[in-house]
Amino acid sequence: MQFYVTTGDDLPLYRQIIRQVTDAIAGARLKPGDRLPSHRDLATQLVIAPLTVKKAYDDLEQGGLIETQRGRGTFVRQRLEQPNATEKRERLRDAGQRLLSQAALSGVPFDEVVDLLQEIQKGMES
Amino acid sequence: MNALEFEGIHRAYKRGFDVLGGVSFCVKPAQVVGLLGKNGAGKTTLIRIAMGMIAPQRGSVRVLGMDPRQEAIAVKRRVGYVSENQILPPFLSVRKVVDLHRDLYPTWDDEIVRGLMERFELPPGAKINTLSKGQARRVALMCAVAHRPELLLLDEPASGLDPAARREFLETSIRLLNESGTSILFSSHYMTDVERMAERIVMIHDGKVLIDNGLDELREGFSLAMLPRTNGIDRERLHGLAYCLGVRERPQAYHAILRLAPAQARAELERDLGYRDVHCQTVALEDMFVELAGGQS
Repeated sequence: MQFYVTTGDDLPLYRQIIRQVTDAIAGARLKPGDRLPSHRDLATQLVIAPLTVKKAYDDLEQGGLIETQRGRGTFVRQRLEQPNATEKRERLRDAGQRLLSQAALSGVPFDEVVDLLQEIQKGMES
Repeated sequence: MNALEFEGIHRAYKRGFDVLGGVSFCVKPAQVVGLLGKNGAGKTTLIRIAMGMIAPQRGSVRVLGMDPRQEAIAVKRRVGYVSENQILPPFLSVRKVVDLHRDLYPTWDDEIVRGLMERFELPPGAKINTLSKGQARRVALMCAVAHRPELLLLDEPASGLDPAARREFLETSIRLLNESGTSILFSSHYMTDVERMAERIVMIHDGKVLIDNGLDELREGFSLAMLPRTNGIDRERLHGLAYCLGVRERPQAYHAILRLAPAQARAELERDLGYRDVHCQTVALEDMFVELAGGQS
């Protein structure tokens, strides 16, 4: 997969990497067992500090999405650890809040937001 | 052992006017620290003190555990340095400049030179004074990294270069960091470069260290609060808050930079000022610089 980060984003660089890996796993563009570039290689490729990539990888590893096998590299985990139910909901709450505020401002009713979510879901599967 | 340590550095160029009034911070091994401050804040002075080019009037500096004035040669052999105003001998060819540097450094690596000559497309036979500003700066960078320094000191290395050349500079530094674990201290006014390279930010203001934090801490754990200029809120009161770093007066509002994430900042401001729903948000590095540098003195 290709990564891209920009300093113009609201999110700090390490969070942009976390988001891209998370999105790619969720959208099955990265599959269990797939190998990620080493943090040094990715740092050179993106021209950012290696420790920034390391921070993102550490975070993803703690979240149970990737694992580092010593001497072999960093991989998407075979069995993705499932966070407990409350944790899962809380992680989504912020994103949900933002989405609904945006919808309210644009005058999009709740039903249409749900439709839109279904549409996006289909797009991610295909 | 830290790669670089400043301890209570004082330096004045005119009696009674301290450029640096007690500056202390350190650069850890393999760490990249971005040094920020307005023009005249003392960034260049500090880097020159680390190079042993000038002495502090008080305080001490240790470079790789050594005093850069006592052990000038040993320090220079293990440090790389590029500055905005670096002067290379104008009538020598690129090849000759490289030869001169090679003689000075026991750890010189011609592989690095070959790689960079090619990547930078440097003409070996060309005299320095026929090169463009960007090309000359590339030669300086090449000579600063070819001995695989343990510490790289960059003083506005990319000022005046185009964005592509600046990116190349970053790339070279990052490769060196990756391959040799080099520690880097660099000053720059290009905040996008700083965000890419630095994991820690030190900002010098009024001769003191105003900020010494991780870049991500600054991005996520600091906020800009905008307070209306009413209701008994004034500059002094804001400055009096322990978590307030700086206040800038704008026509409509006070802008305060706080050492707190936005949600926490709102709660603390309500408690301390009795003012509800203050607009607080995270800030980009560039805006934080403007708020702090533009609002203090």
